[in-house]
Amino acid sequence: MVREAGDIRKVLKKREQRYSYGLTLLRDEMERKGWKPPADEEVGKKVVLRAEDIHLAFGGLKALRGVSIDVREGEILSIIGPNGAGKTCLLNVMSGFYRAQKGEVYFNGRRITKWPAYKIAEAGLCRTFQNLGLYTGLSVIDNVLAGRHPHIRYNSVLSGALYFPWASREEVRQRAIAEDIIDFLEMHAVRDHIVGTLPYGVRKRTELARALALEPRVLALDEPLAGMNLDEKEDIARFVLDIHEFLKIPIIIIEHDMGLVMDISDRVIVLDFGEKIAEGSPREIAQNPRVISAYLGEEGR
Amino acid sequence: MAIHRPCGTFDYSYYQSKAILRTRLQWGLLLAFIAFLYSFYFWANEYILSLLIVICSFVIGMLGLQIITGYAGQISIGHAAFLGVGMYTVGCAEAHLGLNYWWTVPLAGLVAAVVGGVFGSTAAKLKELYLAFATLAAHFIIVYVISNWRSMTRGTDGIWITRPTPILGLDFGTEAGYYLWALTACVLMTYFATNLSRSKLGRAFVAVRDNDIAANVMGINIVYTKMVAFAIGSFFAGIAGAVLSGYYAYVNIEWFTLDDSIWFLGFLVVGGFGSIFGAISGAVLWKLLDELVASRLSEMLSGVLGTEAFYVSAAFSLILYALIIIVFLVFEPRGIAHRWQIIKASYRLWPFSY
Amino acid sequence: MEGVLKCLILGICSGGVYALIALGYVIIYKATRVFPFSQAAVLLIGAYVMYQCLIVAHLPIAVSVFISLAAGAVAGLIIERLCMRPLIGQPILAPIVVTLGLMLLIRGVCLAIWGGDVYGYGEHFLPGGSWQVGFLNIPQIQIYALVIAMAVVGLLLLFFNKTNTGLAMRVTHEDHLMAQNLGINVRRVFQYTWVLACLVGVIAGMLLGNIQGVGLDLDANGLIAIAAALFGGLESIGGAIIAGLTVGILQLFTIGYVARFLPGETTMMVPFVFLLLILLFKPYGLFGLVRIERL
Repeated sequence: MVREAGDIRKVLKKREQRYSYGLTLLRDEMERKGWKPPADEEVGKKVVLRAEDIHLAFGGLKALRGVSIDVREGEILSIIGPNGAGKTCLLNVMSGFYRAQKGEVYFNGRRITKWPAYKIAEAGLCRTFQNLGLYTGLSVIDNVLAGRHPHIRYNSVLSGALYFPWASREEVRQRAIAEDIIDFLEMHAVRDHIVGTLPYGVRKRTELARALALEPRVLALDEPLAGMNLDEKEDIARFVLDIHEFLKIPIIIIEHDMGLVMDISDRVIVLDFGEKIAEGSPREIAQNPRVISAYLGEEGR
Repeated sequence: MAIHRPCGTFDYSYYQSKAILRTRLQWGLLLAFIAFLYSFYFWANEYILSLLIVICSFVIGMLGLQIITGYAGQISIGHAAFLGVGMYTVGCAEAHLGLNYWWTVPLAGLVAAVVGGVFGSTAAKLKELYLAFATLAAHFIIVYVISNWRSMTRGTDGIWITRPTPILGLDFGTEAGYYLWALTACVLMTYFATNLSRSKLGRAFVAVRDNDIAANVMGINIVYTKMVAFAIGSFFAGIAGAVLSGYYAYVNIEWFTLDDSIWFLGFLVVGGFGSIFGAISGAVLWKLLDELVASRLSEMLSGVLGTEAFYVSAAFSLILYALIIIVFLVFEPRGIAHRWQIIKASYRLWPFSY
Repeated sequence: MEGVLKCLILGICSGGVYALIALGYVIIYKATRVFPFSQAAVLLIGAYVMYQCLIVAHLPIAVSVFISLAAGAVAGLIIERLCMRPLIGQPILAPIVVTLGLMLLIRGVCLAIWGGDVYGYGEHFLPGGSWQVGFLNIPQIQIYALVIAMAVVGLLLLFFNKTNTGLAMRVTHEDHLMAQNLGINVRRVFQYTWVLACLVGVIAGMLLGNIQGVGLDLDANGLIAIAAALFGGLESIGGAIIAGLTVGILQLFTIGYVARFLPGETTMMVPFVFLLLILLFKPYGLFGLVRIERL
């Protein structure tokens, strides 16, 4: 037990204290790879991820019609809209799972439109899934370690089979980073349980842990509060804010829960029927007539 | 369902928690068992030794299929053909290039791995069931190529090769000598397979098996992973073929029919899907049954039924194995390994021993 | 020219039977999402039982046909009840291995009962001889086989489209759970599906037994029909028919023209190579449903 006195923010900023609830190991790893937290003037201004004029259609069904969004340094961006508006489709296009018919996506200045999905994840655009794409046969810690996969550096076939010492050391190092994430998300009790046997709330947190394990430069959460009760919602909101505080990365949240959206977002984008109908701060959005009509219906009905 | 460690053992470091063998008792038991296996060299007769040699090589082959199907989830109905590729590499290399047997063994593994990787690369486009058919097609194509490329493989006549040359004075011409080699190969390959299963690649395999769409978005290159799964599994099959061919000193594709591919898959599931122990138990069960049916039961039946016994014994093995596979799948779909886990767990937890 | 025409016509004839077998696969896959390798062996049941009744027991054709069909239906019931029902909900590997095992089991039983020789029906079932049409010499047996196969296919199509049970089977294919909610007895539907497919397989087996002789190699046709079912698309009945005809024509052309360039026994291999090529361009078969993966 470490005892410190003084301002809580100053205490948390002291990096030589290994508070395991601060994602310190993950952050050290990211800095080792050359990432730096954004300077103060860049927050909210410098564009990290940009999608331009995305058109996506499935046969005759147009999911996205010319949507352009940008994600700026260190902000929490919420994407909201009625069901079927195309929010998850937009995220799928950005993470490389769908190929848009038209439009480009830029990440940190590089054009990632045609990149395969695993390369985009390796570059730092990490996401969670609405319907939980977990590896149900693996334990929680193994899921997180599987998330570390693109960042584990040893030649898998030979070193894996022959278990060379450097492979062993690398595995242990990665294990420490994964445990750091598990500590942060307070999942020590279930770390060895097979995911298939765990309840929904724990699985959602495992999903978040796996996305964190990928060393995100931009973290995208697809409906993180779906199916949660009030306590769990507050937990997840706290985790999201903690991630934002410790890692200082931009976070995209696709959500329906207006409470969360209004409370924690820096900016909100509203989609409806595959088009962007509004963009701005939460307060502006709440008063935007188009948004109100999309969600609540028009006056006089 | 947490991992059941023996009571009182706790992991104090990450190294420990990764270990396969955690307690000294486990190490001791394993070493004693391996020593016991090696001791067969001294006291077993030729019949038992030949059976063990066959078991060893099929264990290696089954481990390969476990990697492809059990870990990576790619159903492969053509595995026996890859053993054939391994065998024929040994045969052709010796016949045409005049290589020493010991050089052809890794070559067999590599050639089989390349062929397996080629068929595995179709995984880029084909999903589950369709990939299974690609492996079925692979079986037919490989058998056809081997049977008809007469200049290389002498077609269906087969190739005669010599027993491996002695190393360090150990004579591999005898059953006992060859048994040492087969057992060593088997132990080594099991070690490799176990290492792979707990490494980064092993996790990637299981990720691809469980949810390959999500795995792709989560940073794992699934096309590469599936291809590597096929390549490694075929490598094992190639080595198994090499071990077998060295023993029989003769190579012939007719040993590996479609039925054999199906038995591979079937006994893999009987043994247990997704674990090393499952693969080993499946292979051991299969070859023990083979021996039993081929020698004992045929004699019994031919004594009973007279001249029609020829058909009956061939039919009997078919019926018996198929029944075993079906019954196992219906009643214990997770195989022998799962039963064994339950037995171990009940031993450890009864009555809540500490 | 005459060679090409002959290949074409004979190809269509044998393709008709392949289409029938492929339909058996597609029916079961459509309803239960299990690919029944055992259908290849049901051919054997049809051929052997027919042989037993017609030749060994000298029963009249109608009775023999009836007994064979009954044997097929019983086989379907047993397979569904004992082997498939306990496996509902298991991962896809379990039913595949079970059907593979069943294929070998049935082959073993036929081997045990009837031995390994090849028998024939002689003239008792379909007439031998051939017709002279212009410059072509077409064996009667093939035409009869084609006609019967197409008649059965037509009956099946009628069954699926017009009857309630057929409708139930189509609904069950879409979604088992939803079908149950609509009051369809899904278990009953599975039973019907298997029985129907086994009947189809038995009829095909009878026809093939007549054309090719009753022997253990008949299930090679079943395997070739797998290639047909696949590249027509596993969910498409029309696709299975077209694919079956195509495979038949392909086989004949291979035997007629290509085989002299390739050594050895090409009949098994060529359809599978063709299948691989098609799958590489259209991963779900020509008419199969492309799955849009949702995350």
